[in-house]
Amino acid sequence: MNALRSFSARADIETILAQLGAERLDVPVLQPADPFLDTAGEELRRRIFLSESETGETLCLRPEFTIPVCLHHLESAETGQRRYGYVGTAFRQRRVGGNEFLQAGIEDIGDTDGAAADARSLADALALLKALDVTAKTVTTLGDQAVFNAVITGLGLPRGWAVRLSHAFGDRGTLDSALEALAHPSAPPEVPADILEPCEARDRSALVNALTMRLRIAGLENSGGRDAGEIADRLIARFDAAEIAPDAAALATLRDFLAIRAPLNAAAGALSDFADANRLDLSGAIADFAERESEMDRAGVDTAAVFYDAAFGRALDYYTALVYEITLPDGLVLVGGGRYDRLLTMLGAKTAMPGVGFSVWLDRIGALTGGAS
Amino acid sequence: MSETITIAVPSKGRLKEEALKRMEAAGYAVQPPQDARTYRAAVASHPQVEVAFLSASEIARELGKGSIDLGITGEDLVREGLPDSENRVTRLAQLGFGHADVVVAVPEPWVDVETMADLGLVAADFRHRHGRRLRIATKYWRLTQQHFSQTHGIQLYRIIESLGATEGAPAAGQADVIVDITSTGSTLRANHLKVLKDGVILQSQACLFAPKPAPGGADRGETVAALAAALGA
Repeated sequence: MNALRSFSARADIETILAQLGAERLDVPVLQPADPFLDTAGEELRRRIFLSESETGETLCLRPEFTIPVCLHHLESAETGQRRYGYVGTAFRQRRVGGNEFLQAGIEDIGDTDGAAADARSLADALALLKALDVTAKTVTTLGDQAVFNAVITGLGLPRGWAVRLSHAFGDRGTLDSALEALAHPSAPPEVPADILEPCEARDRSALVNALTMRLRIAGLENSGGRDAGEIADRLIARFDAAEIAPDAAALATLRDFLAIRAPLNAAAGALSDFADANRLDLSGAIADFAERESEMDRAGVDTAAVFYDAAFGRALDYYTALVYEITLPDGLVLVGGGRYDRLLTMLGAKTAMPGVGFSVWLDRIGALTGGAS
Repeated sequence: MSETITIAVPSKGRLKEEALKRMEAAGYAVQPPQDARTYRAAVASHPQVEVAFLSASEIARELGKGSIDLGITGEDLVREGLPDSENRVTRLAQLGFGHADVVVAVPEPWVDVETMADLGLVAADFRHRHGRRLRIATKYWRLTQQHFSQTHGIQLYRIIESLGATEGAPAAGQADVIVDITSTGSTLRANHLKVLKDGVILQSQACLFAPKPAPGGADRGETVAALAAALGA
């Protein structure tokens, strides 16, 4: 069934988006593929429809809207805040089922009042569902990468571990195996004698010299890739890590943290209790969290009906703090949203530019509300 | 007289020679075609068997389409060239020639990187340090994705398609690491590259494959089974 036809109410969605104060934006169906592959990774290649222009540029059918909207924002050399509303078809390859999905959403770019923008985003998402007559019971789950990062920092874990854990956040399997690996001491790498000596002596400049020599021999001295300093630092960190016994208490604390689940109106309290019990300073992250909660409250969100799940995140490194999801009780996602403060610079913005947005799966809602007529 | 079946054999090089030797040893000596430009040949002892000479990668595709009954080709070409190959072809026998490993190799000076997990951490931090993703040069993008994304949970990298001299890509500044085929490792060493400890993606060799499900009826099935058994299936 054609997704567009399944919603005779498409015009209504545009009206709803306008009522929520979003300006209408149509982005082209054909998009350059590189921004998607660069930000989401090569795994996406299997799931997008790729094509090539006559001049050799790799194009794809838009697999989602956030990146095209951000690219439009950057191309229009916009510096202030804009809230873009969109509705249209996104295309992704799937082994079973259709490949076209009707989506609508709002991307809010450039608002420096993060807490208020986050609150408006979730309130808009809930308002959109309501306006679409979704009466089924839904579950709203909220997560926050910034809180997780604050816990990692508070625990004083070595940088290598912090990067690994922070990167794995949002993907439970990867995170669990990272925690598992960190629970066991790691042997230092086997290295040739000319490298081992300065490593054991922690003589960084001798190590850099030895590595520079090797890079030169390999023709990689000025290749624009990893340099001797970077390799030396990681190597020394690995020798350090091999000498430090894994911190069992820190890992247990992390596991406790990841198990926190609370209604949003009680979540800041739960986080404070956790911080106190483990003597961690999370005050900055908790203050931001609490401020956002009160903004949500003010925006009319029922914060007792939103669940904070400390382990909930997205394993995409452009999501920086808030993520949320509105699902049916069986887990079917109706809305996905989040804050992507790193995305615009990844896409070429010269200065940091905040963004938060959500996308609604209209076909799933159409199936729920019988809007297919 | 039963229906004719087709076995595809590589059309050139060592793979062709070895495959024909194995056919002969199995009692299925292939008659050289009268006209060297033809790509079909007969087996005198088994008139119901026809031999098609195809390029090794084309054999993978034809197996996927089910348009041949059997095919001899490198396993790497089947796993790379045929999406969902596990469900589309059956590997009947490993033939013991054409050995080559598809491996992940990094510059030898990367002394801090020994395993895929190390490489994953370098990849995670790469944009932060260098303003771009880690680049992998390869012609095996399907196998690379499976190994990196599905087996090792590494997402943040870009594949640079390389159709030749992949080992030279890091020194040429085109890529940081490579996924390529190696038989002795000497080309990698000459280019100052080393294979990661868990960097062997596939230990490939020439294999006998059949499409899944097998085309044709029971009549053909018997001929196919006899030939496959003779080749060691």
